Amino acid sequence: MNPRPRHTPAIDTSPNPPRTVDVCAMDELDEDRLHALIPRMRQFARALTRDGTAADDLVQAALERALRAWSSRSKRDALQSWLFSILYRQFIDEQRRAKRWRRVLDVVGVADEPHAPSAERVNEGRDALAAFAQLPDEQRAILLLVGVEGFSYREVADTLEIPIGTVMSRLSRARDRLRRLSEGCAPTPALRILK
Amino acid sequence: MNTSAPHSDELHAYVDGQLPAARRAEVEAWLAAHPDDAARVRGWKSDVEALRSAWGNPAALPAEPRLDPARIRRRLHAGRWTALARAAMLVLALGLGAGGGWLARDARDGYGTPPMADAMTAYRMLADQQVSMDFEGGRMGGLQGWLARNFNEAGRVPDLRSQGYALQGARMMSTPEGAAAMLVYEDGQGGMLGVYLRPRTQRMRDGERRDGGLMARYWGQGDTAIAVVSSRFDQRADAIAPLVRRGG
Repeated sequence: MNPRPRHTPAIDTSPNPPRTVDVCAMDELDEDRLHALIPRMRQFARALTRDGTAADDLVQAALERALRAWSSRSKRDALQSWLFSILYRQFIDEQRRAKRWRRVLDVVGVADEPHAPSAERVNEGRDALAAFAQLPDEQRAILLLVGVEGFSYREVADTLEIPIGTVMSRLSRARDRLRRLSEGCAPTPALRILK
Repeated sequence: MNTSAPHSDELHAYVDGQLPAARRAEVEAWLAAHPDDAARVRGWKSDVEALRSAWGNPAALPAEPRLDPARIRRRLHAGRWTALARAAMLVLALGLGAGGGWLARDARDGYGTPPMADAMTAYRMLADQQVSMDFEGGRMGGLQGWLARNFNEAGRVPDLRSQGYALQGARMMSTPEGAAAMLVYEDGQGGMLGVYLRPRTQRMRDGERRDGGLMARYWGQGDTAIAVVSSRFDQRADAIAPLVRRGG
């Protein structure tokens, strides 16, 4: 059997302690923090959608959802994970709708370009970024949250609404896959000689 | 030193700086003795670096006014009552067709378009759509000067706080009569009220006019036409129009 590691990463991360600021001051503070977080939401959305305009549409939809639910938000939840989780859910919902729509188009015989990237497109990439763009949605999400946003594994679990064990296995799969893709994308020796 | 082999989760936690310091040292020692694993970890780290340099600078994104929370809130508020306005408009249209034109006669005032229709349009634009403010928040400073330059005496920013309305911003517009301004006030509970100013080029009777869910109260002041536009159900507007007329 595979023993649980003695030092699970989750031990490091504790939920935010309950805050006891009065509600009004809290709201102003939240408002400032909301402003500060919007560029990061946009960045997260870009990693998910791989397109600037679609990303900002996604952020706008997520902000609308968030502001509608603002008063019902539990003050104990960290604002960033709360916002990111709304954004992620919105993204997943839209993906589902899009997929359903593609199926409809398939049924009625309208050709659509294949969604999965071809091997050629993978090889055209020159760096880790091109490889990153080829990863499945949920792997891009986790790599961005952990690597760029510096979320603790617990926060990632909350944001993506998955168990912490799934966070670890998904992270591991994402990193290995990104590595393989990046290595596949490295410049060929011939190119290096020409330079 | 003989350290136990780290679990793969721990190697990730090591890369992400999420290992306790003591364990971190042990993992480092273990990696030093296992070059293959060390290379794997280095690969992960370099990928993290690459992602960070690509995605880690959100400040560099171009500004996107439609993502401003204040504006989204405004639209959410407006959305609620644009639906109401549409319903009212439909009732009005049906009423006109069936019951005769008392409203039309009252409203048209001898011209093709009803008076201050532009004020209603301006209000709807700001309430309903993604139109950015020219003066807003910290950029409110130039507003009074701009109004004074364009509307002389009439160009004052009314203070409506006594009626529960705070100035949110203002938008400049161009009309056939010249530059116009819509000042947007909110009461913090979803209520919105607009004060609209533009040059007056033709004779205009003071009056008030309903249009869908909106009510405009308007008058001329020197060479300026002014309208207070609000929800027709907003009782406070009765007191606000004279207040604006007196100069806030």
